[in-house]
Amino acid sequence: MNTTVPSNNSPMIQLKGVRKSYGLYEVLKGIDAEVARGEVVVICGPSGSGKSTLIRTVNRLEEIGSGSIVCDGNNIHQPMPARELNLLRSRIGFVFQSFNLFPHLSAIDNIAISPIRVKGVPREAAYAKATQLLERVGLADKAHAYPGQLSGGQQQRVAIARALAMEPPVMLFDEPTSALDPEMVGEVLAVMKGLAADGMTMMCVTHEMGFARDVADRVWFIDQGQIIESAPPDEFFSRPQTTRAQRFLSDLRH
Amino acid sequence: MISDIVAIIRDYWLLLLIGQYPNGPLGGLAATLMLSVLAIAFAFPVSIALALARLSKSPFLNWPVTALVYFTRGVPLLMLILWGYFLVPLVTGANVPAFLTMLVTLVVYQGAFLSEVVRGGIVALGHGQMEAARALGHSYLGAMRYVILPQALYNVIPSIISVFVATIKDTTLGYVINVPDLTFAASQINNQLLTQPFQVFFILAAVYYVICWSLSRVAVLTERRITRRRAGTAPQPTAKSLKLAALTDQPS
Amino acid sequence: MTSFDLSEILGNPEYVSMLVLGIEMTFIVAIGSWLLAMTLALLLLGLRYAPGPAGNAFVTAYVSYHRNVPTLVQLMLWYFGIFTLMPEGLTFWLNDHNAEATFAVIGLGLCQAAYFSEDLRSGMRAVSPGQMEAARALGHGYVSAMRYVMLPQGVRNALPALINHSVSLFKNSSLAVAIGVAELTYAVKEIENLSFRTFESYLLVTVLYLVFSLMIMAGGAYIARKADPMRSGRA
Ligand SMILES: Nc1ncnc2c1ncn2[C@@H]1O[C@H](COP(=O)(O)OP(=O)(O)OP(=O)(O)O)[C@@H](O)[C@H]1O
Ligand SMILES: [Mg+2]
Repeated sequence: MNTTVPSNNSPMIQLKGVRKSYGLYEVLKGIDAEVARGEVVVICGPSGSGKSTLIRTVNRLEEIGSGSIVCDGNNIHQPMPARELNLLRSRIGFVFQSFNLFPHLSAIDNIAISPIRVKGVPREAAYAKATQLLERVGLADKAHAYPGQLSGGQQQRVAIARALAMEPPVMLFDEPTSALDPEMVGEVLAVMKGLAADGMTMMCVTHEMGFARDVADRVWFIDQGQIIESAPPDEFFSRPQTTRAQRFLSDLRH
Repeated sequence: MISDIVAIIRDYWLLLLIGQYPNGPLGGLAATLMLSVLAIAFAFPVSIALALARLSKSPFLNWPVTALVYFTRGVPLLMLILWGYFLVPLVTGANVPAFLTMLVTLVVYQGAFLSEVVRGGIVALGHGQMEAARALGHSYLGAMRYVILPQALYNVIPSIISVFVATIKDTTLGYVINVPDLTFAASQINNQLLTQPFQVFFILAAVYYVICWSLSRVAVLTERRITRRRAGTAPQPTAKSLKLAALTDQPS
Repeated sequence: MTSFDLSEILGNPEYVSMLVLGIEMTFIVAIGSWLLAMTLALLLLGLRYAPGPAGNAFVTAYVSYHRNVPTLVQLMLWYFGIFTLMPEGLTFWLNDHNAEATFAVIGLGLCQAAYFSEDLRSGMRAVSPGQMEAARALGHGYVSAMRYVMLPQGVRNALPALINHSVSLFKNSSLAVAIGVAELTYAVKEIENLSFRTFESYLLVTVLYLVFSLMIMAGGAYIARKADPMRSGRA
């Protein structure tokens, strides 16, 4: 599993008493959790339990009602100028279920545009890096293809490369493979496994239990807005503590 | 200013409403509305025929209609009205009232526009419906009549209302051949008063605004109703739907 | 009726120069109002997205007026109405500077701006909301996300509508004849009056309009194709 020594002993992500409501409906009911540096956490739970909401609060795509989230030493939800928040966001990679590649830009432009426009990286350096990243996700030959010309699996790999281009110390994934045809799931998971092996800190909402077993350091099981189990994968899969987790796992197997 | 406007309305409301009638032809708002209603009523069947012709595989049907559509899209209505004024009496050999000339021109012009709307509605249905109907043994025209058109026409009702609004606005161009409509009545009033052009044309604009705005609201509400009945939530516009919408929504 | 003979018109230098002047004026009005309309449309679009409800309410009212009052009536209100209410100095100045054409450009431009701005807005709305989120997640600020992600897609979505409406703007330049602008429709009526060659003069001008309109459509289709990366073969 993960053998990289954390450069720093403080956790990469620290959630304290995070609560969030839509109107009267409370989606997150007090989340307290930590993700260590280099750790891979897989989040699972029934539909509507708040997984997406939780992961989206970490880069503040969603605001929270109360509590705090610290990521890489930065208090994400404190009041701050927009510029600062943008820079913070650029240091948290996010991969969407629906890829959200920019359809008007080729694969390589998708990857290079944000380093150039957000971080002010010189064009040449940005494109050199983009080329390198495309190689890393196995799409060097698709640099000039547009998203519409790529399969779902290829699009998602470009999306991962695009997030990596900002050189984030942490990557968040929200069901990165659930919009894909089954035969394409493997290629995306392989890229993610490679990232984990390189020591990337990852928070990953997924129902790919094989991936969780092989790669995750811990599994969080969320139900009704709370993390009700947090355990290493072998423990979670073989001895789930709560009846809800047991039911979830047995439903998943059928 | 406001008292001027009230005074003009008080003095001339009948002229604005029905023109010189019964001492002359029916005019004013009544003529505008009648012209628009008749134009759209005739243009509607014409547009269905044109749409079917344009969708047909026969070049003899397809080509002339395509040409007509491009012709009406490329030539100003004003020019077509001049043509109508020149040609309609030539064809009928009689002294034709301007109202009728304008009506014929509008039917051709809006018929062509509307045919694009109808065609868009048919194309948007996709092949599945036609194939299903043919599989059940309907003839091509039977499938059109009982399966395709009822759905397609229902779906394009909002666009048809938009074309109707465009027609009302288009009737104003009848002034070039002296069609006695609302705009004509306002010009008459302006010529009599001479000193209050702003007030007169302000009233004119306001009347058109009230009518067209109300109808546009009806179109929007119908659209919502149709989408609600069909899918539930209003769909996001797509690049394709925008292309179609742009056709019906013409300034005039 | 005499037989069809185009040379009656095309062979007469006086008529030809009327035609040329008419074409020139049609283009001045069409291009002038197009530029005005596009500039205003971008401003209106900006107002739509401005914070607070005032901008949006203003644009809604603006669009509603210009879409629900016939363009011809708008022109008449400008030229016969508002013109007379202007301060005398301005009136003199305008009379010296082709007031008719000026008001045609203003009237048509203001009206068309409503259509263009709505085209752009629908184009922007057709961009999936995930695009904004992805840009924000990568650290783009609002302006940067608009500039590099949203607007390029929104404008491209709006292109077919913008092209259609550009053609109708060109056709609507003929309405300027109603306030006395000596453009192409004006020229055809003059030539018809002088030559008694109704059919020939109408045919000539109709073909001219048609050719110009088709050129705008073709040019627009070319731009739309260029702007579509998937079809331009750059990939
Ligand atoms: N914008 C919103 N407004 C109101 N309610 C919302 C909104 N977004 C999410 N919710 C609700 O919050 C709850 C949690 O949503 P969330 O998307 O986080 O669930 P999830 O665990 O990711 O589910 P899934 O597995 O289906 O993706 C759901 O009940 C959802 O209906
Ligand atoms: Mg989710």
